[in-house]
Amino acid sequence: MQKGEMYVGWSTKDDVRKRGGSGGLVTSMLAAALEKKLVDAAVVLKKINEFEAVPIITSDINEVLNSAGSLHSVPSNFAKLIANKNLKVALPAKGCDVRGIIEQGKRNAIALDNTFIIGLNCGGSMHPVVTREMLEVMYKIKPEDVHGEEIEKGKLIFETKDGKEHAITIDELEEKGYGRRESCRYCTIKIPNNADIACGNWGVTGDLVGKATFVEINSEKGAKLLQNAIDAGYVQVQKTDEKGVAMRTKIKGVMEDLGKKWKAKLFVPIDNGRLEYFRKELENCIDCGACKAVCPTCSCGDVSKCTEYHSRGDAYKMSMYHLVRFLHLADSCIGCGQCSDVCPVDIPLTRLYRRFANPVQEQLKYEPGMDMRKPPYFEVKLND
Amino acid sequence: MSSEAVTAQPAPKGNGWEPKIVAFCCNWCSYGGADSAGMGRFQQPASARIIRVMCSGRIDPLHVFNAFLEGADAVLVTGCHIGDCHYVNGNDKTKIKYKYIENVARELGLEKERLQLNWISASEGEKFANFIRDVTEQIKKIGPSPLKPEGVA
Repeated sequence: MQKGEMYVGWSTKDDVRKRGGSGGLVTSMLAAALEKKLVDAAVVLKKINEFEAVPIITSDINEVLNSAGSLHSVPSNFAKLIANKNLKVALPAKGCDVRGIIEQGKRNAIALDNTFIIGLNCGGSMHPVVTREMLEVMYKIKPEDVHGEEIEKGKLIFETKDGKEHAITIDELEEKGYGRRESCRYCTIKIPNNADIACGNWGVTGDLVGKATFVEINSEKGAKLLQNAIDAGYVQVQKTDEKGVAMRTKIKGVMEDLGKKWKAKLFVPIDNGRLEYFRKELENCIDCGACKAVCPTCSCGDVSKCTEYHSRGDAYKMSMYHLVRFLHLADSCIGCGQCSDVCPVDIPLTRLYRRFANPVQEQLKYEPGMDMRKPPYFEVKLND
Repeated sequence: MSSEAVTAQPAPKGNGWEPKIVAFCCNWCSYGGADSAGMGRFQQPASARIIRVMCSGRIDPLHVFNAFLEGADAVLVTGCHIGDCHYVNGNDKTKIKYKYIENVARELGLEKERLQLNWISASEGEKFANFIRDVTEQIKKIGPSPLKPEGVA
């Protein structure tokens, strides 16, 4: 097994295969890595209900096996969770999680050599609070009655406990302001080729649809992880067919085009009153610092430029905290949307940060979290 | 404060109003340039407040933002010509930092005249004086900075 190869695989454990999304391959790889002592711990989401889950770092194989099953409405943020802990760890991660982990790696908060990242294809995740509201307003069902969820052919389907299925197209939901989180709509990293191994159900064909996972190996660590799972008897794989690979590329293309369309729609340049726009959006800021605490590219800790040069007594027109954050995120923002999610006064922070980040990252041709390139800010000289 | 003072219009453009310009100068070149502008008796408006730094590479974006937030109408970043830096490559770093500051300032809606970068050597007194004069003229035309706090002239 080596870099660049693609397989279709599934779990050999019947229970995991049934409960897990797409054949439970990811869960089994994590469990196998723990059993064969490839890693000391794994990160999984411990499900509380359909809308809530807590991320845990665990060494217990049963806990990993129990975590099987996907949750679309729980956006994870694993980069900050494993930062500064010096763990030998394997974890599943969406595209933005992977980017966060790599950014933390660049800032020496995570040892990337000891981190096995299983990338998951991601078309977008949903905010749990918004999802609950959406269920009541759009689907007219009680959130407590939801038994399962699924995305199929552009439709978001919820299954209630009485066995009925409720389906509405995602386009319609997003027009009304529900559906995927805003940052997911304009995200263009759908297949995480920056992770060690990229997994997802796109490209699975024939009888295996819904029962297997498409795997692309992106690094030697990824090959080691999959080989280990096969050797341990947790996973079975077979070669992919050309049809599957073509289908996967096609879905990726469609999703990326959709992302670009959203990006163009959302980031229309403001001709007049830019300062007023930013002041208006930030006027409710209560200075809690949650956006910084959760930001997967920030690794300054408690004492940092954005907090130390900012005082609540300042009578400035823009707070120094936000100016420094704007500057920092101009090259480092990965657009994960965590800041908007946690903001207690609902400031659309990701949208604001992206306004600064889009032109800078385009100019410098720098994509944070996609490779190990140093942020251009710390470069001595730029090659123009 | 009377209600009149609160609703008072911003300082009139042109006559009477002098812009406040913060000029960051590096110790080895542009500060020397400012010095030789004085020694050569080149006339320049009294609008610039010079802040001397050892190298233009020391100018943190934070300094520039702070100048604007405290009421500067324009901020000038000046240093040695590329290749002449006393610290070998300090001004290369300035160039990178400036790119960032410029982008943030532009996105915030500050006009491009308000933030300028210029390389001035110690012998270019006339260039320094002309630069200050030009910037003062430009700022007089576009008026006070939108980031100026309330009550600061």
